[in-house]
Amino acid sequence: MRIHLRIWRQNGPTDQGRFENHTVESVSPDMSFLEMLDTLNETLIRQGQEPVAFDSDCREGICGTCGFLVDGQPHGPDPCTTVCQLHMRRFKDGDHLTLEPWRAKAFPVLRDLVVDRSAFDRIIQAGGYTSVNTGGAPDGNAVPIAKQTAEAAFDSAQCIGCGACVAACKNASAVLFTSAKVTHMALLPQGQVERHTRVLNMVARMDLEGFGPCSNEGECEAVCPKGISLANIATLNREWWKATLLK
Amino acid sequence: MKVLQALSTSTGSKILVALTGLAMVGFLVGHLAGNLLALFGPDIYNEYSHALISNPLLVPVEIGLVAILVMHMGTAVRMVLRARQARPTRYAVKKWAGGASRKSVASTSMIVTGVLILLFLISHLWTFKYGAWYTDPTTGYRDLYTLLVEVFRSPFNVVFYVICMLLVGMHLRHGISSAFQSLGLMPRSWTARILRAGAALALILGIGFALIPIYVYFVL
Repeated sequence: MRIHLRIWRQNGPTDQGRFENHTVESVSPDMSFLEMLDTLNETLIRQGQEPVAFDSDCREGICGTCGFLVDGQPHGPDPCTTVCQLHMRRFKDGDHLTLEPWRAKAFPVLRDLVVDRSAFDRIIQAGGYTSVNTGGAPDGNAVPIAKQTAEAAFDSAQCIGCGACVAACKNASAVLFTSAKVTHMALLPQGQVERHTRVLNMVARMDLEGFGPCSNEGECEAVCPKGISLANIATLNREWWKATLLK
Repeated sequence: MKVLQALSTSTGSKILVALTGLAMVGFLVGHLAGNLLALFGPDIYNEYSHALISNPLLVPVEIGLVAILVMHMGTAVRMVLRARQARPTRYAVKKWAGGASRKSVASTSMIVTGVLILLFLISHLWTFKYGAWYTDPTTGYRDLYTLLVEVFRSPFNVVFYVICMLLVGMHLRHGISSAFQSLGLMPRSWTARILRAGAALALILGIGFALIPIYVYFVL
């Protein structure tokens, strides 16, 4: 396969950036999208040019490190898939694809397709933890949690913090990410002690970082590689007004 | 002060817009029920209109409605500005996600339909509330029915009203269910039902209001 790429290139945070066109030859349909970019980078290095910077780590779709827009869609066109798990068989020979980094004030571009997502870390630091001393690993079923509750908490805990929700939202909102952590902790006994302060502090931090308000459109859920549901946002909203009234 | 601080957060703002929006939906349901009395002739319609305008609670209710409208609009505009700041650089290519997304023409044009509805509201009040005052010779009440018939004899007014009601329906298509989501009253097992009920109520209100000018023009 031959793939034509229009890639966002930016030398650093203060650089204006521009699109650059590249063609990758002999792309195997079995390659992952990132392997295709690796091939491009090897060619660029051989030609003495700067390789395209992009984030990746596990390349198994579980770490949340990779992520950029493939032709206007965060992580590309496949549902519940990170860009490292997107494969070239999804595309056709001769396709033209535009690659862009996440765009949000709170996610400044560091270089090419790499953005600084430490705003997410600061939201977690504001309340996405439990400070209760839980000791060593508890015996199985020592703290009884209903199967349904455990499953629901795990659904929320699956968020890998990739930032696709922010990238997809027309308002660059981080509510899906924040709500996943708030919901996860609100469902479990370990999360009860800081339940009210957690949601208030995390929402305040989210605003401080410069993320926009929720649009209720659900573009975030549709692009989320882990299928985190908009129901988490409804839970966050409910947790927030309860905490505000009880404060 | 604490309340104001809470309502200025992104989540608080969404809740304020939801509460004020639902309050206005409640008003629209009552307004439509009252307006539909026009289908039963001038006597009952004028009597209803007189009961409203002679009620001492009318002014406080009107002040309340204006306050609700101002809060709804002010908060919505502030959120739009905040959203613009949150994404200073736009995407070169951006596609709708599809799948689970609830994005629609209605959801993407909320601020536009909102502003157009405000302009319609001004024109609507100017035409009816502050419009020509006819008096019913037998009861001495304001003859709003005659004004209604007079206004909707004009095909221009009928088309204008029907288009505006389409905008109201569109705004509510996203607005009603969105308000439940913002208030956190959208449990997973009820999501589909709330989305359908919100869309149905939006349709009923839009068609219901549009029915009156059409009825007057074609039937009376």
